[in-house]
Amino acid sequence: MKALFYFIIRNLHWLLAILLVAFSFYLVFSHNSYQRSVFLSSSNIVVGNVYKASNYVNSFFHLRRNNSQLLERNAELEMKLLALMSHLEEVSRKDSVEVRAFVRDSLANELFQFSFMPAEVANLTFAGSNNFITLNRGSLHGIRSGMGVISQTGGIVGVVSTVSSRFSVVLPVINPNFRVSAKLSHSENFGLISWNGKNVREAQLTELPRHEVFQRGDTVLTSFSRIFPRNLIIGFVSEQGQRRDDNFNIFNVRLATNFYTLRDVLVIDDRFYQEQNELEQSFLR
Amino acid sequence: MKISYLREILLLAALILLQVLLLSRINLFGYATPVLYSYFLLKLPVGRNVFFVIISAFMMGFIIDIFLNTPGMNAAAITIVAAFQRNIRNLFFDRNEYEEYIPSIYTATGAFIRFTVFVVSLHITLLFFIESFTLFNLINTLLRIVTSTALSIILMIAIDGLMYREKLSEQA
Repeated sequence: MKALFYFIIRNLHWLLAILLVAFSFYLVFSHNSYQRSVFLSSSNIVVGNVYKASNYVNSFFHLRRNNSQLLERNAELEMKLLALMSHLEEVSRKDSVEVRAFVRDSLANELFQFSFMPAEVANLTFAGSNNFITLNRGSLHGIRSGMGVISQTGGIVGVVSTVSSRFSVVLPVINPNFRVSAKLSHSENFGLISWNGKNVREAQLTELPRHEVFQRGDTVLTSFSRIFPRNLIIGFVSEQGQRRDDNFNIFNVRLATNFYTLRDVLVIDDRFYQEQNELEQSFLR
Repeated sequence: MKISYLREILLLAALILLQVLLLSRINLFGYATPVLYSYFLLKLPVGRNVFFVIISAFMMGFIIDIFLNTPGMNAAAITIVAAFQRNIRNLFFDRNEYEEYIPSIYTATGAFIRFTVFVVSLHITLLFFIESFTLFNLINTLLRIVTSTALSIILMIAIDGLMYREKLSEQA
């Protein structure tokens, strides 16, 4: 008995190490990107603030490029505005009827399904297989888990997974757990976008029927989704990948979002999300 | 004694911030990511309490996990290495060194490099295998391990050289 006691005392540090490692592995295997606790993720307030401070310093190095990007975008929108204005003028001149098609009245405004909230990337990883993005907006600013995120230039970025009061963590397209349904711009057949972990600029479009015709450079858009509006740009077909079986094609898709330089994003607020959700839940019950 | 503990906690904090804010964002050629925080285990004095070694290593891994959203992975890998730290060091260094001796590239070049190579490769191998338990192919993981290990060892030895040189100039 005494010998056993001494044996345990002498090897207590091994016991401690085994306990700690077991606890770590418990975390590894019980971890689920959607149910992960806020405390253990980078939406934790302390971690969020460290990232925010580091990002504050970092952002100065990108001012010049961001500025030029904004100017370009501004110019683009200005052009569209001009085109629309002239079009409007033309239409209204032709038949002197007041055009109401482009005017939103207050009621229609309330019923508009999607609204966009700007947010800044506080932290972003793309080095490993477990990529994520931390945003500097949280539940205080109206962000819920399950919201879609797109970049300023319009490409999809990911889905909000964990939210704290001031920060939120986004599961990006470049995470192996990410899935969204997608289609080619000229057809209605839909497939699935996922990421194979190899290239940050490329995702894979799978499960698209084999008879689907395609060309390099075809635009890939979002299809039915609970998260994104339809017809958002995901990327462009770059090449045909290796097929896993005879019935479905796999494409490599060059992503419209460049994660290397991602800074500003828009979070999509779907006003009908809850209503649709409740309806579907009641049906399932 | 207390000052030396303080020094170690500071080193630990510095390594965490370095890893989280800088190194984990590097991804050379799509494969190599430097993982330097096991440097902490190299620079502990020979006579350091084994419980302190294991618990501080676990805490370090755990904090890095929170930052990188990888619950448990870094903590598991570094804790395993910490548990064997004393045994590994005894392979390369004389057991009869005095308690406050800290291994360094200037005092024991060959032994220190061998020690570094062993600890870093063990740590990165464990870490990347835990990370890719279910995902991806073996060759990709092995390539990432080999390139990351090489990059980390080079950086770590460079940092050790710089730190010691600074100390020398402070004394002069």
